[in-house]
Amino acid sequence: MSAATAMAMSGPEFRAAGTDLSERRRSGLSCGEVIDLTASPDMIGIAWGTDGAARIGALTAIAAIASDARLAQAYPGITAAAQGLATPQIRHMATLGGNLAQRSRCWYFRNPQIACLKKGGSDCPARTGNHLYHVAFDLGPCVAPHPSTMAMTLLAYDAKVTTDRRSGLSITDLLGDGSNGAADNLLAPGERIERIELPAPLAGERALYKRAISRSYAEWPLVEICVRAVISGGVFQQVHITAGGIAPVPLRLVASEAALQGKPADAATIAQAAALTTAGAKPLPMTGYKLELLTGLVRDVVERIAV
Amino acid sequence: MTTTTVNGRVESLPDDPDALLIDIVRDQLKLTGTKLVCGAGVCGACTVLVDGAPVASCLMPAQAAAGKAVTTVEGIGAARLHPVQKAFMAHDALQCGFCTPGFIVEATAFCDQWRATRGTAVPSREEIGAALSGHLCRCGAYDGIFRAVADACAGRFDGDHVAAPRIEARDKVTGAAKYTVDINHDGQLEGLILRSREAHARITALDLAPARALAGVAAVSLLGDDRIVRFVGEPIAAVAASDRKSALAALAAIKLAYEKLPAVVGLDAGRKDGAPVVFDKASRKRAGNVSEAAGGPAPWKQNIRGPTAVFSTRAKKARSWVDEARQANNKLLVEATFRTATQQHACLEPHAAVARFDGDRLTLHASTQQVFHLKEQIAKRYKLDHDKVRVIADHVGGGFGSKASLGTETIAAIELAREAKAPVRVAYDRQEELSVAGYRPAAELKVALLPSEQGALKALSVTAHADTGAATNSTIAGLARLIYPAEAKDLSDFDVISNLPPGAAFRGPGGPPMAFAVEQSIDEAALRLKVDPIALRKRWDPDPNRQRLYDWASGLDIWRNRKPQQTGRYRRGIGVATGYWLYLWQPNVKVEVAVKGGRIVASTATQDIGTGTRSVLADTIAREFDLEPSDIDVRIGDSSLPEGPGSGGSRVTASVMPPTLQAVRKLKAQILEQATRKPAPGSNAPWRELIARSPDIAVVETRGEDGKNTAPGIRSPLREVGLMGMVFGWMMRRFSNIAVGAGVPSSVQVIEVEVDTWLGHVRVLNVHTGIAVGKIASPALAHSQACGAVIQGLGYALYEARELDPKTGDVLTAGMEDYRIPGIADTPEIDVHFDEAGFDHVLGNSVGIGEASTVPTSAAVANAIHDAIGVRLTEIPIRPDRIVAALKGRDAA
Repeated sequence: MSAATAMAMSGPEFRAAGTDLSERRRSGLSCGEVIDLTASPDMIGIAWGTDGAARIGALTAIAAIASDARLAQAYPGITAAAQGLATPQIRHMATLGGNLAQRSRCWYFRNPQIACLKKGGSDCPARTGNHLYHVAFDLGPCVAPHPSTMAMTLLAYDAKVTTDRRSGLSITDLLGDGSNGAADNLLAPGERIERIELPAPLAGERALYKRAISRSYAEWPLVEICVRAVISGGVFQQVHITAGGIAPVPLRLVASEAALQGKPADAATIAQAAALTTAGAKPLPMTGYKLELLTGLVRDVVERIAV
Repeated sequence: MTTTTVNGRVESLPDDPDALLIDIVRDQLKLTGTKLVCGAGVCGACTVLVDGAPVASCLMPAQAAAGKAVTTVEGIGAARLHPVQKAFMAHDALQCGFCTPGFIVEATAFCDQWRATRGTAVPSREEIGAALSGHLCRCGAYDGIFRAVADACAGRFDGDHVAAPRIEARDKVTGAAKYTVDINHDGQLEGLILRSREAHARITALDLAPARALAGVAAVSLLGDDRIVRFVGEPIAAVAASDRKSALAALAAIKLAYEKLPAVVGLDAGRKDGAPVVFDKASRKRAGNVSEAAGGPAPWKQNIRGPTAVFSTRAKKARSWVDEARQANNKLLVEATFRTATQQHACLEPHAAVARFDGDRLTLHASTQQVFHLKEQIAKRYKLDHDKVRVIADHVGGGFGSKASLGTETIAAIELAREAKAPVRVAYDRQEELSVAGYRPAAELKVALLPSEQGALKALSVTAHADTGAATNSTIAGLARLIYPAEAKDLSDFDVISNLPPGAAFRGPGGPPMAFAVEQSIDEAALRLKVDPIALRKRWDPDPNRQRLYDWASGLDIWRNRKPQQTGRYRRGIGVATGYWLYLWQPNVKVEVAVKGGRIVASTATQDIGTGTRSVLADTIAREFDLEPSDIDVRIGDSSLPEGPGSGGSRVTASVMPPTLQAVRKLKAQILEQATRKPAPGSNAPWRELIARSPDIAVVETRGEDGKNTAPGIRSPLREVGLMGMVFGWMMRRFSNIAVGAGVPSSVQVIEVEVDTWLGHVRVLNVHTGIAVGKIASPALAHSQACGAVIQGLGYALYEARELDPKTGDVLTAGMEDYRIPGIADTPEIDVHFDEAGFDHVLGNSVGIGEASTVPTSAAVANAIHDAIGVRLTEIPIRPDRIVAALKGRDAA
């Protein structure tokens, strides 16, 4: 503990499973009122429309998503992402809504003794300090990557978010474009996520998820991607590539998508698309390596999709 | 009021929204098997089952357990040990035991589910690794855990038979083992420490009165008399109150004023001319110590202390030969600069102390590596009679060098307990543990290695600058004297002091960074000389213990079948490296071996930090009497017992084994002398009968000098280096109570890696570790130590780094998410080879294993990576960012 005034956040906060909030309460980072979310039946579980589209309640546990066989069939990128994040014990508790609305994992933000943009401060200490694990697409004043793996994968699926006040929000509507350094999402005070709606899967679509980390498991991604595509007659169609860990919000890699769209699913096309992943990148002094990893990941995952 | 069911009993839950499930379990119900470690859901030590699913109780709101069934580790083995518990015991799948309850809970759930759906099929390493990926073990018990979980799933532990090579294993797998953080006296207060927010400042005002004015609060100053703080996190004051929340309020009430002083952070900034000076001449004695022994005199200018170059020999000659070779563009001259990272001990049990005064008697429970010496330090500091201070450490959740001094947690607990007139517990939180509790300093090593034209080692130059923070006494380069003799050696060590927390001794201090640089340089020389790297070591390193290990290593199939360098995305490579540590023992160590009530009782004031000291004593004595280890009662962890060794410098086994054997010999004679009846003729357990009928007898023996060496080439390594070595040895003994014995504990490792050149990921496939530390006292436990040493070395090589804010020195990696230690799925197949010769001059023939076994790992990994990708990685940890940077611009896969 320290003598300086803690940079505490004193506003009310919702609590789902508490896997993020409890840590911030213990450290003193969060000290306002806690409002426990009570689950109405439609906020828990996975429901299916007649068109084969799924709706996932915001309080559905990540482990339930990770182990749902029908979801794995229809939206394999989503179940794979759910299987890949955090640890088994956290996945049993943590919810989809909580994953989307969790706060930044930046090591300056998490230190209650250090001021930053997300805690009412005037600048980003990571930008001028140590940003080894921060963004390589510098899109706003805060350089922390967005922590939500589920947001990254839902972006690849064009998912829509329903809150208690609004519906039909895209992931970009929910999280913004990265230019707002003060917040991790654009929910209004007191607004809460109720469910996620997915479009019906496309015929023959495939998807894969992968994160690059230094160890084998249980690490925040250096870079993570979800690739979703239909390959028809040996040609890429409907390609969606999203990436996390590299920008203040999950990104769609539109240049790489365009390089694949309508092209033959072969090594040359894939190498070309992989080389374009870094279009628009603005790495920080310590994060150039993330672009190498992003290129490698896209090549890896797209090659496996194309098999 | 809401309720939950815990281990079958209905319990009430508090309304406090901030109460977490772990608070209910540990504090309200006193079920202390569940451990709080990271507080962030990363390490899994707090895992409990909620309606059968493993969850992190350190994050789960207590109210979320309402109406549910909670099972803690105490609920798992309650009626009858679970097969997983028996398997952990049998496979020695634990060391210090602090992570064990969490592993047991998760593995039990996995095993039950596996058995329900898969019968007795054996899960793969990959399946076990994924299932247990939410758990961390700092001792590195993963090898045993793999075997235990696989065998439990396969139904091999369904029977009632329970056997454990580690005698306290049952307490550790059931959660019964009590650690310092689990001590809870009536009326015990919780102590917290006020720490500096400034990297360098003079405290102009410190007013504890507003804190003391709060009900039930005690407060003490921890400021030095110069009132200067020299790093973020330096202790200023401490408070105690009835609970953590009240103590936090008391901390906030303290009034403090600073005058900021200019600060400097880190190895590069600290060396610059004109950098702010951290310790002026008058305050130099305040600096900490990063070695296992006290340091000698050294020049000290501004923030640079050094060179310490006592281990050089013909240094000028070495420098001129290297200069000449450089000018002549001699292709054999190997020159490189290496950088190693700061490694945190990251003990899962934090630094903790519980102090309690009963009149003028002090009882201190402490998470310490030195119960006996700590008692003496406390008695001296507080001018107490030695027999009125008692230090107790039944179980210690890891130490690795960081718990070998009288620390702030102990000082604060004692002073607060005295002021509050109540017992006080001080336990560091994870942020403190990963910032101010010590570390292995980072270092920069410049190496020049010159072979002669005949292929001998002509000159070796190593200059090391260590990033010691507010501490001194790093020896890295100097360690290169005791291996690879050369015609000339120029070895200089420097401490670079800056406004960072003080480093501390860490498992083989100086050894791993020295090996990382020198062993890679040797590897490079082998390439240039076109000699097999093991053959070159065999040629240049005459130590007899290592000669045998080189023969073993060069005979390994994996070495003999090495392939030429690979291309493509995934590339495999094999590397070798050597390490050693000094054979140290502690004079004056006493062991009592006694017959009490018809049983053998062994007592000495040492402690078990996960290394297996209890079992070493029990196994040794059991062998002598032809009994089972469980027949021996071992009493340690209590300073009131006969003087025992500290758990540092790999010295415990070599310090306790000889007096134990002497005592056994005398005790046997006395038992026979006093026996009124001889054992039945032909009895297969004569000693059992004699002991059962013997009156109580106690024999205390003191560790004596070793015998004269007989084996050729076995000498004290310090004697080999001449007068300075003998002076160094004399100082170690005089000032640090450590004797340097003859013979060199050694390790040679052969490691295979696979590098993913696209994602920069290094996978260690298998490790062969050959270890020469004499006769193995407790084979299963030594195997655990050997594997754990490799795993910690892999963390050092591949993952672990303290990251700082470059201006303030704030430790950014102060949580287990950001300070990355190896997990079970990162564990390779590990083949352990013990060469048991070399220490015949030591009674019992055994010396310690802890340090020698971890020294070579990072260098072997780096050599393997070079073999795989053709690029030498000169900086650790070798993370993905460094691999992709090293490969950038090279041949695309």
